[in-house]
Amino acid sequence: MKTWEYITRRLILLIPVLIGVTILTFVVSHVIPADPAMHFAGGPKAQPETIERIREELHLNEPVLVQYFYYLNDLVHFDLGKSYLESRPVTDSLAQYFPATLELTIFAMLISIPLGIVGGIISAIRRNKLSDHITRFIAIVGYSLPIFWLALMFQYAFAYQIPILPLEGRLSIGVSAPPPVTGLFVVDSLLAGDLEACGSALYHLLMPAFTLGFATLALILRMTRSSMLEVMGADYIRTARAKGLSERTVIFKHALRNALIPTVTVSGLSFGALLGGAVLTETIFNWPGMGRFAASAVIGLDFNSVMGFTLVVAITYVLANLIVDLLYAVIDPRVKLGGV
Amino acid sequence: MNNKKVGLLAIGMCLLMIAASFSGCVETETEIEIKNPDTIVFYTIGDPKTLDPADAYDTASGEVIFSIYEGLITYKGADTETFYPSLATDWSVSNDSLTWTFNLRENVKFSNGNDFTAEDVKYSFDRVLIMDAPESGVSWILSQCMDTNSTKIIDDYTIEITLTDPYGGFLALLGYTVGYIVDKETVEAHGGVVADTENEWMKEHAVGTGPYMLDHWTHKTEVVLVKNENYWGGWDGKHVDKVVIKTADEPATRILALLNGDADFAYIPYENLEDVEGEDGVIVQPYDSYDVVLVILNTKSNNAYLAEAEVRQALSYAFNYQSAIDDAYIGYMSRLPGCIPVGMPYYETQNNGVPVYDYDLVEAEKILDDAGYTENDDGYRFNATTFRIFYNAGNAERLKMSLSFQQELTELGIISTVTTEGWPQLLHRMFATSDWDIIFMGWGPDYNDPDDYIAPFVGSADIGQDTYNTGWKNETVDEMILKAKYTTDHEERSDAYQTAFDIYIHDPPMIFIGQRQYIRPMRDWVQGYSYNPVREWYWYDYYKE
Repeated sequence: MKTWEYITRRLILLIPVLIGVTILTFVVSHVIPADPAMHFAGGPKAQPETIERIREELHLNEPVLVQYFYYLNDLVHFDLGKSYLESRPVTDSLAQYFPATLELTIFAMLISIPLGIVGGIISAIRRNKLSDHITRFIAIVGYSLPIFWLALMFQYAFAYQIPILPLEGRLSIGVSAPPPVTGLFVVDSLLAGDLEACGSALYHLLMPAFTLGFATLALILRMTRSSMLEVMGADYIRTARAKGLSERTVIFKHALRNALIPTVTVSGLSFGALLGGAVLTETIFNWPGMGRFAASAVIGLDFNSVMGFTLVVAITYVLANLIVDLLYAVIDPRVKLGGV
Repeated sequence: MNNKKVGLLAIGMCLLMIAASFSGCVETETEIEIKNPDTIVFYTIGDPKTLDPADAYDTASGEVIFSIYEGLITYKGADTETFYPSLATDWSVSNDSLTWTFNLRENVKFSNGNDFTAEDVKYSFDRVLIMDAPESGVSWILSQCMDTNSTKIIDDYTIEITLTDPYGGFLALLGYTVGYIVDKETVEAHGGVVADTENEWMKEHAVGTGPYMLDHWTHKTEVVLVKNENYWGGWDGKHVDKVVIKTADEPATRILALLNGDADFAYIPYENLEDVEGEDGVIVQPYDSYDVVLVILNTKSNNAYLAEAEVRQALSYAFNYQSAIDDAYIGYMSRLPGCIPVGMPYYETQNNGVPVYDYDLVEAEKILDDAGYTENDDGYRFNATTFRIFYNAGNAERLKMSLSFQQELTELGIISTVTTEGWPQLLHRMFATSDWDIIFMGWGPDYNDPDDYIAPFVGSADIGQDTYNTGWKNETVDEMILKAKYTTDHEERSDAYQTAFDIYIHDPPMIFIGQRQYIRPMRDWVQGYSYNPVREWYWYDYYKE
């Protein structure tokens, strides 16, 4: 099967996945006995006409099945409805929050993937040596420390006691956001030639991206290490060494390529998961991303926002998986796309 | 050195590195220099829902609108009792209290340079009534005494407002954001007024006559205001050029922002106040607010005992008010005598502001025993019926009060449960079912008039009230509420409120717990700050030095 045929098939499969996800989310969110309309209209102070109008807009007086078909009808017209908590279309909210999360995730992965792979290789080839112990210790710390604790400690240390990094946010006070093109401040400020904004955006990314990437770094490090150790013990590595190849060639050309498959899987899935928004990191660093948006939507029963968020996450996951599968074929030519 | 030792050494080194990076944690505080001297930065929770004064009904929106737009009257500093001229310079009222004449301020410009005239005033009021606040329903505040025929333009700088009914709180409601004046030309250029429909442009943009204008608003992130060079009040004296209102959900982030000087003001929950109290350069000053804390009692619950006045009286005696003040609100609350908070006009009509009920379990027991609700052999009253207490999830103060109340009820021989629910679920329970007995609630002011408290609290559904769906009704109280509402005579209003109080306090549909104190910890370099419960923030008055 050609690559593009494989991609097309996978993308078509996205449709039933999305339908399944929307049904599940819709039913779960709508069966809770609650009055979101009154909540949106202002609680006890709400006027009866306002509550009724919102109920009608959301079709809350109809059976759940009918409500779902209204939703589906809007969806195929690319209308995700209105976010009542934010009082604007859900697409506007997603257009603001998704790029913020994407930027944070990209930088978290830029920190965690190279460091994790390099750390994993060092750990494996210098097994039970000092460097192995240090990297393993870092991995254990990354695994076991709750991310909110780490975030709070970083803030306390580097924004308060030794104030060298900004406490929160995406830009410093007084720095204007660049004109939106991609929504990624680093990219947009470069496109606009605004180096001050670019510097400020990078400066603000450091702490949250490192915090967010730390757990992933630990995962990738452990995965690369164990995978490398397994490969390094394989017969073909012994053969390569017996042929007199340099250790560098053996590690990078023969071992690493094979050892990377599980690392790619983990990285891809982590990327997908982080794009769904890291609620704690985003909340503590006041990062206006998908995590904070989703958390407040779920608590406030803002159905349209919850559905919009779920759709984006589902699409992201499927695409991240697709990219991982495509990467398998690049790394290991024996992998056949679409094969059984 | 064997591998184990090497490992231990590595771990030790890493711990040392971590410890070193946190070495500054102990007593290294130094005086911080004023950050951003021309900007006031406020770290808070909550994002505005809209910037349109015709549809705004939440605190976060008001914080912004109060400094961008203006009304005909205003408040100054902490004074809640006097109406000061703003876009109107003076006013008069006819003998029948129906017709109000306002002389308007001349040479006032909107931030876009347009002139302010009587046209804008009529347009703004009519717009509220025609649009009818589709998002929030806030238009009721004007529509209770005005319609689209009410406002007449006499000349460019004089308007006459004829009320549909006389209303004692009329001037006060003009001081709320729904009575604020928009620029007719701007609104007409961006969608105009459509009945029952929100104006999308006005939600996100703002052109007013106030001291600041909108620079930008990024949802859930920040609202940035910059000074309006056209402001009629001028910029002599000390003011800041810019105001940044940041939305930060995490209390720890707001605390650190205040401590490191990024924030000039921060919203800090009561339970976290001790983290900033006593810190260098931080002021924690409580102010009496109009935010009241109540326990709502459901007289039409399927637990029929709550329909009895004696039972509700006993519950009022069983509530431990001092524990609520000390434990739940860490001392930052005072007692509430009745519906009208202390400080608001006419609060003294409620037993001179002295609460009728105090914590007294013996009195509670006596009332219940006298009413025939004695303990059974197992020590339970009401045939071991369970009283169901609810509060909204995430509210730490209400959790503490609920558990304390449950303990008191147990002492009285009353079985109770405490349940927390999300806000939408709790609203559904309260307004669509009878499956609740006791719910902890709160109320904040819309405008500075007691009618905004007493009517929704103890007015019945027959006069369009009963806001908490208690099912409570007393015809005389209804009559007194309407009488006080439709008169501007001080004595008459006073008598009506007193009569109502004497009735409802002995047949209470709720337990009047207290008035929360308002605290926004701030840096000591902020000058000019004063708290007004009706208009919390007025950025023009503050500066840093």
